[in-house]
Amino acid sequence: MNNKRMKMFEIIRGAAAILVALLVASILIFICSDKPFEALRYMLISPIFSNGSISMNSIYTILAAMTPIIFTGLAVCVMFSSNQFNMFGEGSVMLGGFIAALLGIYFSTGTYLDIIICVLGGAIVCGALMYIPAILKVKLGASEMVCSLMMNYIVMYVILHFLLNVFADGSKGTIQTYPFAATAHIPALVPGGSKLSWGFIVALIFTALVALFMYRTRWGYSIRMVGINQSFAKYSGMKVGGIVVLSQVIGGILAGMGGAIEVLGRFDTFLWRDLPGYGWTGITVAILAKNNPIFVPIAAFFIAYLNRGCTMMATYCDVPSEMADIIQAVVFLFFAAEQFLAKYRQKLVVAGAKEEIAQKNAAAEGGKA
Amino acid sequence: MLNEIFSLIFHVDFFFAIFRITAPILFAALAAVVAEKAGVVNIGLDGIMLISGLFGTLFSYWTQSWLIGVVGAMAIGLSLALMMGFFALKLKTDIILAGIAINTMSAGGTIFLLYMFTGERGNTSSLTSSNILIPTVEIPGLSSIPVLGDILSGHSVLTYVAFILVFFTWVLLYKTSVGLQIRAVGENDHAAESVGISVLKIKYIALGISGILSGMGGAFMSMYYSQSWNTGVVAGRGFIALAAQAMGHGEPVGTMFASLLFGFAQALRTKVSGIQGVSSNLISAMPYAVTILGLVLYALSTINKAKRKKAQEQKKD
Repeated sequence: MNNKRMKMFEIIRGAAAILVALLVASILIFICSDKPFEALRYMLISPIFSNGSISMNSIYTILAAMTPIIFTGLAVCVMFSSNQFNMFGEGSVMLGGFIAALLGIYFSTGTYLDIIICVLGGAIVCGALMYIPAILKVKLGASEMVCSLMMNYIVMYVILHFLLNVFADGSKGTIQTYPFAATAHIPALVPGGSKLSWGFIVALIFTALVALFMYRTRWGYSIRMVGINQSFAKYSGMKVGGIVVLSQVIGGILAGMGGAIEVLGRFDTFLWRDLPGYGWTGITVAILAKNNPIFVPIAAFFIAYLNRGCTMMATYCDVPSEMADIIQAVVFLFFAAEQFLAKYRQKLVVAGAKEEIAQKNAAAEGGKA
Repeated sequence: MLNEIFSLIFHVDFFFAIFRITAPILFAALAAVVAEKAGVVNIGLDGIMLISGLFGTLFSYWTQSWLIGVVGAMAIGLSLALMMGFFALKLKTDIILAGIAINTMSAGGTIFLLYMFTGERGNTSSLTSSNILIPTVEIPGLSSIPVLGDILSGHSVLTYVAFILVFFTWVLLYKTSVGLQIRAVGENDHAAESVGISVLKIKYIALGISGILSGMGGAFMSMYYSQSWNTGVVAGRGFIALAAQAMGHGEPVGTMFASLLFGFAQALRTKVSGIQGVSSNLISAMPYAVTILGLVLYALSTINKAKRKKAQEQKKD
C-alpha cells in the first residue's frame, strides 16, 4: 500500500520537476520571442508531429541521438550506484570512438566481425583505463572526481596529438582519420538517410543486461549496497575495494562502447576534435532515471526529444536552441533534490500510516467481535 | 629544438605570461580552497566563471565602467553559489550534482542569455571597447627595475588582486573566527554543531565567498584575458582550479604554487606551439598528468605519516 503511494509520489515529483522546468522555459520564451506560442509549439510538438502528420524522420533523429546517451547513462548509473563520482565517462566516449575507428582502419578483417572487434576494442581500453581512478581511490584515497576530470583532458589531448600527427588523412581539408572499412560501419536500422543504426537496438539490449546485472546478481547487489552504506557493506563481509573498482570498470566499458557505436554508426571516419559531451549528458540521464537502468532509455528519450524540439524552435523561430541546456539543468536540479516536495511526501506517509492503523484497528475489532 | 625552447623560456615575456595565465586559475583555486575547507566540493566553479564572466562584460557595457562590471560579476558569482547552496543545503541535492547542473546550465544558458539581452550570438566582441576592459597598472619604482620590472609590473589590476588574495584567504581561514568556524565545519560538522556553530550558515558563507572569488576569475577572463566573452572563454579552468586545490593540499599558499605550475604549463604551450617537432597537444596534457601525480604523492605521504604515527604509538606502549 505504502509502496504504491511512494511510487505515485515519485511520478508526481518527476512530473512537477518537468513542469517547473517548462514553466521557466516558457517565461524565457515569452521574454525573448515575438511569437512565443509558435516557439512553444515547435519545441513541444514538432519533434513528432509536423504539418499535421507524424514525422518519422524526426523520430529517427531522436532515436539516433538517444543511442550514445543511453550508454553513458547506463555507465553513470553503475558508477554512481557505488557512490563514486567518476566523470571519466566523457573521456571514455571519445577514446572508445577513437580506438574503434583505428581498429576499423588498420585491423579490418573484411567481414562483419569488424564491428564486434572495433566495439570490443574501444570498450576494453576504456574499461582498463578506469582502473586508474578506481585503484587510486581504493588504495590511496585520492579523489576519483578530480582524477577522472584530469583524465578527460589527458585523453583528449593525447587523442588530438595522434589524430593530428600520426593518423591524419592529409588529403582532406578537415582534420580526420582515413575512412574505416565499410565492414566496420554499423548498418542503418531503417532505410533512408537517417543516422539511426542497429546501435540503438544494442543500446536497448544493454539496458536490459545492465538492469539484470544491477538487480538480479550478487555483484550488482554488492555495488548498490556499497553505495547505500559502505560501512555496512564492509561489516557484512563484502570486499568494498574490489566492488568499487568493478563498478567503475563496468562504467568505462559501457561508456567506451557507446563512443565506439556512435562513431561507427554515425560517421565513416573519426573527426571529433573535442570532448563530445555525452558523458555529462549521461550524468543527467542517470539522475533522471534515479540510477535505475530500466528508466535510462526513457530519460534519454526525454533529453533527445528536448534537444530536437529546441533545435527546431531555433530553426523556425527566434529563440536560440541553447534553451535546452537551461531546461535540462532545471529538471536535473529538481530531480536530484531529495527534499523537493518533501512536505507532500510527509503527508503521504502520515496518511498511509493512519490508514494502516485504521485497518489494523478494524481487523482487531472484527477479531474481538 | 631544445635551444629554441630555452631561448623562448628565458625571456621576460614568458614569465610575464605565467602570471597573467595563472591569475584566473588562482581566483578559482582559492574559491575551491575556501569551499573545501568547509567540506563543500564546488564543482560548479567552471560554470560560475562562465556565467559571471558574461555578466561582467554586459554590466561594463551597460554602465561603461569596468569596475561596475567586475563588481557585477562578483555579485552574479555570489548569487549562483548561493543558489547552489540552496539546492544542496536546503533541498538536499548532492552538492556535486548541484555543481554539475550549474555547469550544464552555463554551457548553453549563457548563449541564450546573451541573445536575450543583446541579440548577439555566441560572443561579445562587438560590445567591448578598450575603455571598459580591466586596466593595467605600472607600479612606480618597480617598473624601472630591469627584468624584474618587466615581469612584475604592467599587469592588470585583478592580477595583483589575485595574488594579494592568497594572503587574505590565509588570514581569513587561520586568523579570523569565521575561518576557524569554516575549518571546524569542514573537519567535523557534528562536532562544530555541538559547540554551537551554525553549520548551515557557515557553509553558505563559504560557498558565497567561493562564488565571489570565481566571479572575479570569470571577469578576469572576459574583461582582460581574452578581451571579450565567448563560450570557450573559461575552457575548463574551473576544473583545473579543483585540481590545483587538491595538489596544493587545500592550503592557500600551496594552492598558489600549484596554480603557478598550471600557468607555467599553459604559457609553455602557447610558446612552443610554433616549433617544429614539438606537439603542443602533448604539452597541454602535461599539467593534468602532473596533477594526478601530485594527488598520488600527497596521498602516499599522508598514508606514510599515519603509519609512522601508529608505529610510534605502538613503541610507546
